[in-house]
Amino acid sequence: MVGVAYDCLANPLGAVRSTFEKAIASGSDPASFDGRDWGAVDLFRNFLYDDGGLSQVPILNSASIRWVQPNTLVRFRGMIQDMLGNEFYVGAYKDGSVWRTNKFTDVPQFPVDSTPDMRLWERRMLYCTPVPGQNSWAESSNAVMYASMESGTQQKEKRPRVDAEATDNMDYDVSDNGIEGSPSTKKLKENGHSTQQSITEGTSSGMIMAPDVNSGSLPCLIKIYDCLESDLKLNEVFEFVGVFTFDSEFKEDKDESDDFTNGFSEDVLVHLPPNKVPRLHCFIHRKLAVHDFLPCSPTNEPKPNLVKEIREALLRHLTAVLGNDGIAANFMLLHLLSMVYSRAGTVAVGKLSLNLTCLSRESAPVFGTQLGLALKNLLPFTQCISLTVDYLNTASLAPRKDYETSRLITGALQLAEGSHVIFDETRLEAGILNSVGVENARLLKTLIELQKVEYDFKFYKLDMPADIQMLVLSEGKSNILPADVVLPFHPSSVASAEVTTEALEAWRWYLATLRSLPHSIDSELQKVIENDLVAARQEDRTLGTQDFSRLLTMGRLMSMSFGETSLSLEHWQMVKELERLRRERLK
Amino acid sequence: MKDINFSAEKELAKDFLSNFPDSNGEPKYMRILQQVANRKFRAIEIDIEDLFSYAELDEEFCNRVQENTRRYIGIFADAIDELMPEPTEAFTDDDHDILMTQRSDDVPENMDGPDPHQKMPPEIKRYFEVYIRASSSGKSKPYAIREVKASHIGQLVRISGIVTRCSDVKPLMQVAVYTCEECGFEIYQEVTARVFMPLFECPSRRCITNRTKGNLILQLRASKFLKFQEAKIQELAEDVPKGHIPRTMTVHFRGELTRKVAPGDVVKLSGIFLPIPYTGFRAMRAGLVADTYLEAMSITHTKKKYEDYELIGDEEEQVARLAEDGNIYEKLARSLAPEIYGHEDIKKALLLLLVGAPHRKLKDGMKIRGDLHICLMGDPGVAKSQLLKHIINVAPRGVYTTGKGSSGVGLTAAVQKDPVTNEMVLEGGALVLADMGICAIDEFDKMDELDRTAIHEVMEQQTVSIAKAGITTSLNARTAVLAAANPAWGRYDLRRTPAENINLPPALLSRFDLLWLILDRADMDSDLEMARHVVYVHQNKESPALGFTPLEPSVIRAYISAVRRLSPSVPQELEEYIASAYSSIRQEEAKSNAPHSYTTVRTLLSILRISAAIARLRHSETVAQSDVDEALRLMHMSKFSLYSDDRQKSGLDPIGDIYSILRDESETTGKQDVSYAHALNLISRKGYSEAQLKQCLEEYANINVWQINPISFDIRFIDAI
Repeated sequence: MVGVAYDCLANPLGAVRSTFEKAIASGSDPASFDGRDWGAVDLFRNFLYDDGGLSQVPILNSASIRWVQPNTLVRFRGMIQDMLGNEFYVGAYKDGSVWRTNKFTDVPQFPVDSTPDMRLWERRMLYCTPVPGQNSWAESSNAVMYASMESGTQQKEKRPRVDAEATDNMDYDVSDNGIEGSPSTKKLKENGHSTQQSITEGTSSGMIMAPDVNSGSLPCLIKIYDCLESDLKLNEVFEFVGVFTFDSEFKEDKDESDDFTNGFSEDVLVHLPPNKVPRLHCFIHRKLAVHDFLPCSPTNEPKPNLVKEIREALLRHLTAVLGNDGIAANFMLLHLLSMVYSRAGTVAVGKLSLNLTCLSRESAPVFGTQLGLALKNLLPFTQCISLTVDYLNTASLAPRKDYETSRLITGALQLAEGSHVIFDETRLEAGILNSVGVENARLLKTLIELQKVEYDFKFYKLDMPADIQMLVLSEGKSNILPADVVLPFHPSSVASAEVTTEALEAWRWYLATLRSLPHSIDSELQKVIENDLVAARQEDRTLGTQDFSRLLTMGRLMSMSFGETSLSLEHWQMVKELERLRRERLK
Repeated sequence: MKDINFSAEKELAKDFLSNFPDSNGEPKYMRILQQVANRKFRAIEIDIEDLFSYAELDEEFCNRVQENTRRYIGIFADAIDELMPEPTEAFTDDDHDILMTQRSDDVPENMDGPDPHQKMPPEIKRYFEVYIRASSSGKSKPYAIREVKASHIGQLVRISGIVTRCSDVKPLMQVAVYTCEECGFEIYQEVTARVFMPLFECPSRRCITNRTKGNLILQLRASKFLKFQEAKIQELAEDVPKGHIPRTMTVHFRGELTRKVAPGDVVKLSGIFLPIPYTGFRAMRAGLVADTYLEAMSITHTKKKYEDYELIGDEEEQVARLAEDGNIYEKLARSLAPEIYGHEDIKKALLLLLVGAPHRKLKDGMKIRGDLHICLMGDPGVAKSQLLKHIINVAPRGVYTTGKGSSGVGLTAAVQKDPVTNEMVLEGGALVLADMGICAIDEFDKMDELDRTAIHEVMEQQTVSIAKAGITTSLNARTAVLAAANPAWGRYDLRRTPAENINLPPALLSRFDLLWLILDRADMDSDLEMARHVVYVHQNKESPALGFTPLEPSVIRAYISAVRRLSPSVPQELEEYIASAYSSIRQEEAKSNAPHSYTTVRTLLSILRISAAIARLRHSETVAQSDVDEALRLMHMSKFSLYSDDRQKSGLDPIGDIYSILRDESETTGKQDVSYAHALNLISRKGYSEAQLKQCLEEYANINVWQINPISFDIRFIDAI
């Protein structure tokens, strides 16, 4: 690379155009760029990853949108909530005798006459929202960036039009984020009443239809160019880097759109006006896993000793949170590490949902709240849904397609991979379910059994695979949510757990990294396991494939929790012992 | 792009229209034109296949038509104008014709020079509509909506989808007609887009030379309107890749094609994929973005019935290849729910349910159903529900429901009050919805008492009768019922009689052609198999290899639809054989004090139905004896797990029991030989000793049931099953 003519950060479109002109000048036919890149993306990939430019790119959120300038480079982290289909646009056209391109922008730089020399290209539109249930610590990892961004641009003075107001906002934002950046205990207490909040959160989440910049959750319309369809799937979490366009002065032209669209008003512009929803013309997208949300990522290999230490500490912490119930803490640890790592036929392998029973109406708030709080601090995406007859009868759990607006209306169960949900069943009372309630109960059951959510497209239903850790709190064994592990909860004390920030960070790292470890069982142990399973079934005829599968999952998770990649006999014995203790409690 | 001489193209089109022969060698399109001239119908459909097969046209021309279809519709319309024959039949003039005759009378007077605005556009004279239809013969699969790309713009494409929304039919102005206040002339304006700018000043020569700026008045009665309807179609569920949202597309229907679709219809469309550039203010804001739509050219409704199943692509060939394969019965059966291990015989039975037997209608009007009904009864966790769901997926029309979970309408039908109009409306339940298909009912035993009585009628007469709220009617419910039920106490209780376990009234049970008992027996082998399977899945993150490649559901569907056209008959000589088989079953039942089945005349019909279904699978028009044998075998196997448990329960005679174990083994493997080592293995699992086995071998060899190899002690059964 000979040096970049344009500042990729402040004037990405200039850079795009210069590469386009260069490509044209070198004799390429614009027709050959149909669905292809001419080097612009490479330029940005170099800039972002090889030259470390990524950290300078501001993250787009409800705070930063007030000061980020249109047509600059931004990044956005979010979950793909809806796919709006393809958009056809005039990608390249001849302006006089010069070829121009409209790629990566909404508005052409030069006016376009209808010339015959026009290439129609297409781009995909994705509607992205912040990850549902994202905890504040997972967002705050970028607080530092704004400061560096600010100083960086001011030094270069590439953007003369940063008006006073914007800078004011910026200062404010930086300080605000500064507080969020350190998860102090004060912050934790603020989250204390989250369980109550989350009930309303759960119901209202079905209605984030009319997006609003000020509501704190900023959606974004991502336009993707030239990439394989299979790269981006619904409910996956991505980081998009691209050109930001936002038209705050956009006025909806009511009369025209009403007349013109003839009753079919699902035009994107009408429902997602550019003054409400920012657009991002994406250069590069990257799928994010849970550990990408860690504030600092100690990318070193898990050392056995260190892992063991963290494991012990975390187990102690969980035991304290769970009122000194060691068995429950052990199961909880396995539960938190679980993830669906493959699907064989209809079976989702690797899930381990947990149902803590014997929680009465009185004890549930005590432990439930404490547990919810602890999980909020450990996992990036958590939610809590309190099941009541009323909730089941009214909530829209599954996303459904609204054909009036041609949008997918999200439901409480449209969650990103690796989300954790607590279902509090203790407040459920006897009552009558209506048809919605029956449907919702069925949805919950398929979710916990098969890790699948049925999306309602009115004329047919589509199964979407999910990977959600589900914890059920109930008085007796839950029948709406038949969990893999049912464990009567026996707390002996109520202790408040004081946690240091360092410990929390270590635990987050532990939970995020270990769950993706590879795993194997050697053939000798395989025999032992097979025999153990057969023996268990000879004793108890009610054991089925699900129970076998659960025991194997527990074995895998157990060895994983020690940072090991193959199951040892010792860990298998531990699993069997845990299972024995659990069965004893069930009697 | 090189310039194309459009008048030359028109000559080609004329030549094609006047000379293209139909199957009788007569000009196909001229006949259509004659009928259009006689006002029999409006639409002239030009099949692109015909263009390709017409020898006089080179392929280039056809490709041009396909890639620039809209232009060529105009060319063909012009060609038709010139070719249009005189009507041969009289028809009554309507307003339009009277107007036209007036106009043509007027024309000579006004011929004061060629004035483009005063020249009548050809559209206004046309009574016909031209459509160019993409090949519908099904050689190529229609596109999914997401496969239609920017490169298809302007081209003729075929897509499949489901209609989600439809607008009202509205008039769309095609030619606006004005009259001038000053000069009195009619002024015509052709409208090609959805919006147009009306004319205000008279452009006629007289007005311009007189500088009168004549005021124009739009004449709605004289203008030509076209029916116009807009619809949205969405991708079919099977076209959507995993983890994606179905795409939608806007479709415009004009003229005769309006009112052909309703929301929920599954359709195949051919049409022209066109962009609509934004106009005016929106173009400024939105930049250079274009909306796209499909200008519909033809509509085909997809029927969800076997009878209408169209073979696409190479399916025909595959079916033919399968038909030659001698092992088709096993192959298809294995391909049903391949992820469910074992249960071969059940799968065979389910395959026969899909195939069914032909319906018979006797001379006196009595109907004998051809649909097979099967009930799977078994312990929890033996994959009954998965089997049900899989069958529904394979069947072109299937409804899955549970006995308990169905709504107020229930399984049959209900009369309900419409909340808006307060009218009583008839609403069909699952069984009615599954007419001509398969209705899978899970939790059959937990069904409402009301539904259960109604289902009697459905299963034999195949109708649902309703007499409620002043509505007395009978709805068709020609479905094959596939039920799954749990035994009375959740698990099958071997200490009780089968009648007690099977918690269904005999009247209902006798209606099932096959009642399959699947028991979860305490068996070391199957337990180990299960444990191995689970460990394998966890270790390798996938199901163990099946050892064969299952056939695609679409291929199964194609094959079944092909064989369902056959109607096998029972030859004379087999009648005796079936009758004796039936009577022997009756005899056996009479002997037993706790019968497992209720053998009635219905059983006889069942045997015939199952045999006919097997004959169909063999692609045969006559039922063979082997078909009947297989039918009897299936009926026997359906209770098999029960018989073997009976023996275990009795357990009085170890020798007899060992014999039946060995007999079972030979029956299940289908071989007459059982090796000694294997036999020892088998009986020791059931808790018998080697001495007992030897005793048994000796005793039964004495009565010539089997021969024992003197050296190896291997067993050979003397008679086959």
